[in-house]
Amino acid sequence: MSFTHLHVSTAFSAHYGVSWPEELAQVAAADGATALACTDRDGLYGTIKHLKACMAAGLDPIVGVDLAVYDDDGDHRTQLAGRVVVLARGNNNGAGYRALCRLVSDAHARTSGKSGGVVPVAVTRAELASRTLDPQTLKPVLMVLIGPDSDVGRAMGGRRYLRPRTLFKQWLDAMPAGTVVAEIVSQLSAPGSPLSTAHAVRMLKLAEENSIPAILTNAVRYCAEDGAATADVLDSARTLKSLPELALEPLLQPNGQAWLKSARQMLQLGKEIISAAGYGAEDLNRLMAQTEALADVCRIDPVTDMGWKKPVVPEAAVIGISQDPHVELVQRCQAGVGRRFPGIAGTSEKEMLHRLDHELGIIQNLGFSSYFLTVAEVSRMIQDMGVRAAARGSGASSLVNYLIDVSQVNPLQHDLIFERFLSQDRATLPDIDIDVESAERHNVYHRIFERFGKERVTLMSMQNGYRARGAVRDAGLALGMDEGDVGDIAKQLWRFSASKFREALQEKPELREFAGRVEQRDSHGNQQLDLLVDLTERLDRLPRHISMHPCGVILGDATLLDRTPVQPSGLGLPMSQFDKHDMDPMGMLKLDVLGVRMQSAMAFAVREIIRIHPSKKEVVAAGGHPTGRDGAGPDFIAENGRIDLNAIPLDDEPTFELIRSTHTLGCFQIESPGQRELIGKMAPREFNDLIIDISLFRPGPMKSDMVRPFLEHRHGFAPEVYPHPLLKPVLQETHGVTVFHEQILRTLDVMTGCGLAKADEFRRALSSEVGEFRVEEYFRKHAREKNFSPDVVDKVWQTLKSFASFGFCKAHGAAFAVPTYQSAWLKAHHPEAFLAGLWEHDPGMYPKRLLVAEARRLGIPILPLDINRSKGEYRVERILHGPDAGKLGIRLSLNGIYGLSGTELKRIVAGQPYDSLADLRARSRLSKPSIKRLAQLGAFDSLHREAGGMANRADLVQHLQRLQNAGTGRKGIELVEGQLSLPLGDVELRNVKPGLPAPTLVENVRAELDLMAVDVSSHLMESHRPTLERLGVTTADKLLGLRNGTEVLVAGVRVATQTPPMRGGRRVVFISIDDGTGCVDSVFFHEAQENAGLLLFGTRLLLIRGTTRRTGPRGISISASMAWDLSRTETLPFPTQADQPADVPHPLDGISRTLAITGFSG
Amino acid sequence: MGMFSESVDVSCTPEGHPVAVVWAGRSYSVCAEPVRWYERRQWWAEEIRAPLGSGPGLVDHEIWRVQVLPSAPGSGLAEQGEPLTLDLTRHIRSGRWRILRIHDALRPRTA
Repeated sequence: MSFTHLHVSTAFSAHYGVSWPEELAQVAAADGATALACTDRDGLYGTIKHLKACMAAGLDPIVGVDLAVYDDDGDHRTQLAGRVVVLARGNNNGAGYRALCRLVSDAHARTSGKSGGVVPVAVTRAELASRTLDPQTLKPVLMVLIGPDSDVGRAMGGRRYLRPRTLFKQWLDAMPAGTVVAEIVSQLSAPGSPLSTAHAVRMLKLAEENSIPAILTNAVRYCAEDGAATADVLDSARTLKSLPELALEPLLQPNGQAWLKSARQMLQLGKEIISAAGYGAEDLNRLMAQTEALADVCRIDPVTDMGWKKPVVPEAAVIGISQDPHVELVQRCQAGVGRRFPGIAGTSEKEMLHRLDHELGIIQNLGFSSYFLTVAEVSRMIQDMGVRAAARGSGASSLVNYLIDVSQVNPLQHDLIFERFLSQDRATLPDIDIDVESAERHNVYHRIFERFGKERVTLMSMQNGYRARGAVRDAGLALGMDEGDVGDIAKQLWRFSASKFREALQEKPELREFAGRVEQRDSHGNQQLDLLVDLTERLDRLPRHISMHPCGVILGDATLLDRTPVQPSGLGLPMSQFDKHDMDPMGMLKLDVLGVRMQSAMAFAVREIIRIHPSKKEVVAAGGHPTGRDGAGPDFIAENGRIDLNAIPLDDEPTFELIRSTHTLGCFQIESPGQRELIGKMAPREFNDLIIDISLFRPGPMKSDMVRPFLEHRHGFAPEVYPHPLLKPVLQETHGVTVFHEQILRTLDVMTGCGLAKADEFRRALSSEVGEFRVEEYFRKHAREKNFSPDVVDKVWQTLKSFASFGFCKAHGAAFAVPTYQSAWLKAHHPEAFLAGLWEHDPGMYPKRLLVAEARRLGIPILPLDINRSKGEYRVERILHGPDAGKLGIRLSLNGIYGLSGTELKRIVAGQPYDSLADLRARSRLSKPSIKRLAQLGAFDSLHREAGGMANRADLVQHLQRLQNAGTGRKGIELVEGQLSLPLGDVELRNVKPGLPAPTLVENVRAELDLMAVDVSSHLMESHRPTLERLGVTTADKLLGLRNGTEVLVAGVRVATQTPPMRGGRRVVFISIDDGTGCVDSVFFHEAQENAGLLLFGTRLLLIRGTTRRTGPRGISISASMAWDLSRTETLPFPTQADQPADVPHPLDGISRTLAITGFSG
Repeated sequence: MGMFSESVDVSCTPEGHPVAVVWAGRSYSVCAEPVRWYERRQWWAEEIRAPLGSGPGLVDHEIWRVQVLPSAPGSGLAEQGEPLTLDLTRHIRSGRWRILRIHDALRPRTA
């Protein structure tokens, strides 16, 4: 006997279900089940994973949803009348699944897509009824299960006999015949309570009276008993109430019986219900048989019902093609040859055409021509919008992509292999990713929806699972612990999986104090901490909510919304309930349109360059570009001064000089402390070096020590070694070290003759143990047949085995290296415009204040906020007066000032210039607090000077504060006696009474940090300088002059904190600090972490003792041994007591914007 | 109704239904079909650990409501008289039985 569970929530029922689809399917199959349903709450979030799990376990999938229904008698927008389960009928060519998708989309259609929306996810009974019949055949395609959570089930309590009957009749009246089933559930709760056998009996009798089939389920939330406690915690997280509070209400599950019971147990349950109802064996048989009968009509054929693995792309007509798509693709490629390879001839032409035929052949065989045309269409559309776009990913390996303008990388030049992207043996739609300016991403999305029609496009979603911090917060909430206490603990949890919490307590120094508290539970009675650890581990990885994927757009034909349910995203565009793992199984074409801030920053810089230098001649002069023999300047600069970044030469010496200097803050991909160290060691000379650099700087190569041998060979310290002369051409560019996937493919091909397509299959197989075994067998056999010596075979196999899983695709590296080079080029030639772009779009890993400090280091004047000169964005400005006259500076933006609203900002800019405060108030209608903040930041200083006022900034702020306190807070024209906006200069400013001492530099910097999170007037470390001198601290600019191994003290503000994975698994912490002269990169190994303890992640200002570690001709870092919190003067290691300075104010005192200032919210 | 918790010995049928209770040195036999359910525990207050893989019995415990009559000494047969209604609980992990409640025999069953 087997039993089919028809009501099962998976973990993808966020904050409700506990178990993963794979676990459920395996347990069901092990118990002899032949089918299993997945009925997640509110959506089909786990459906595709369920399909996959069922197919793997040999079960027929059944798909459905657990959905709330509006109360027909109540307010249709807010009042609900319980939940029902809706199952799709199967084996009807998808009619059931289609109806289910549309129904789920209906349920979400009225919601806002924003968190905290008031409209619940629900359908009206009329909507549900209309979806249950197929619109064509009018046959039932959905089955509605009325169970314990429905309005009928909820009315079972007490001694009301009429109410449930009335409600059940309403369902029968509303639903088409043959679509309603009674769901009988007993979770063996106390007699007479919800989910008790007594309620199950009442439902059973109701079904009997109305001749409606009854079926048995267990309303499953977890695979086994053990999941019940996790379900309790999820209930708490969902309702935002602690377990003790929930238990009082009582809103918790009545007990822990909602698990996937075995067929035997379900039969026993059936027996108990039947016997409690006073029925006999025949009735029991009927209940069980009806359950299986319903399961049978709902069995889904993944292929015919849901289009499993069948790729679907937009109809040819939509992309404007009337002929056969493949013919069209061939023609476009041929047209591209002339454009991309002008004048090509001879052998190179032959090779190129051969490659083209090869690619087109594979594309045709796979039937993917329309796919390529679709991507080309999107790409063309983006470029027509004037938005910077660059293809990235393995798509750059394709010559076809290069010829149809999807990619800007010539795969022949970089030796990229098409098979890494697509091959005969891999019939899944390949990924093509397009990077666009981040600021334009949403516009691009909207355009795609317009271009293809909203029935063919939806955004992809992503599942956000619990990580350590969120898990400990919600576990603490469940236990009713103090929020502040839990918050303090959460802060110490950083980047490890919640499932390793207890392990981490033993190992991590920053958790030592907490671990001590856990152990002391007996003496202090704080046993909750031990439970907190257990519950945190239970929540690990469970999905919390769904959100818009940062870049995925799904494109399909007119039937797309029959195949995926959609719900509103925060962006206002519909979002699929499926995530990236569901794309391939559902044959969905996903395009990654990724917003890249660096692209926006570079586009901004190019615009600023034109604005300041509006002609080619001026740009050439300003950027120090070669004038050429005819003096006309380079072709990549247009007459109006526009620089075509895609056309700049890739061998510009000043650019490489900048990269080698390691002053690469702000440059794409090479600004992190680790990358600055690597480029310092590697000293790149050409574009290919950048590709190698980017490919080497990955967890895998770093972890497995590939970098050291590479560098030794590159610098000629050690001779290059090749396992076999035949492999030399494959490995030469990386000096014998295997770095790229492409090299693994070629090595396999050279030694076994397997062909590149097979080689890529092998490379993929190497990531699993089983696959590795299979590949090893094949490799050894065929390599020996080709007469490679056992020695060579052994050696090469070791390399393949260890590098295959993490080597980097060279096509990715090449695609990344382009913006890396472009950004370094801009920094080398137009640093002011480039930094303005960086400040504006904040693309990097560091807090903005570090890039402001970088401008200071480069001697670029930072121009203060000015009510008449600052705009809504950062701007390059020519300085006309003073010591910096003639230089270019960067004017601060009004954007990003705390408390200044977007509309206020717009009105300020629209009204500029202002001749007085009254004028400003009248036309910009600024709030008083905003005016005061602008004054604190010095935005009125020049206006004040022009007005001839004698008072200082402090006096003005006090004056404004008084007005604020006195006034009503009303915006707009205000009423200082006698103030009219007459062209008299500013009477108000002129008449502000002097008296207060002018604000100190420290006070000004503090105001800047507080309101803008940026130190502008001076570096925030400046005020610490006297202390640092007494301590004997070395500054960043002096470090390079020291010998390797010198013991030093360094100090600064935290700008980066990283714990990359390391060889041997021991954690290493990298902390970078900025002291105003540059960055100091320090590394904390195990012992130093022990010494530093809580300071490691909890401090903004650090004093670090360590020894210098020379990393290359231009690189030096600190191997730390100890750290102190610089703001706690009394703890610092002064040489003598007398050196300890008196307490003086510092800019960071009392400022709490830690994340914005240090880039870290430790 | 009295509420307390005291250890008892319970003998069961092969299906696990209680048939006889030994309580405070006296034997009782179950005289009517027992009723069984599962009731939630305040596990977060009662337990100090709840690790993954704890298994059954953390969140709920099994309750049996039985009606018993004292057994005649030696005979094993029930004596005549008013039956006593007891709520027994079986700790799922240890299998040990305790008495949870003694209901007033004269009051009607609430369930």
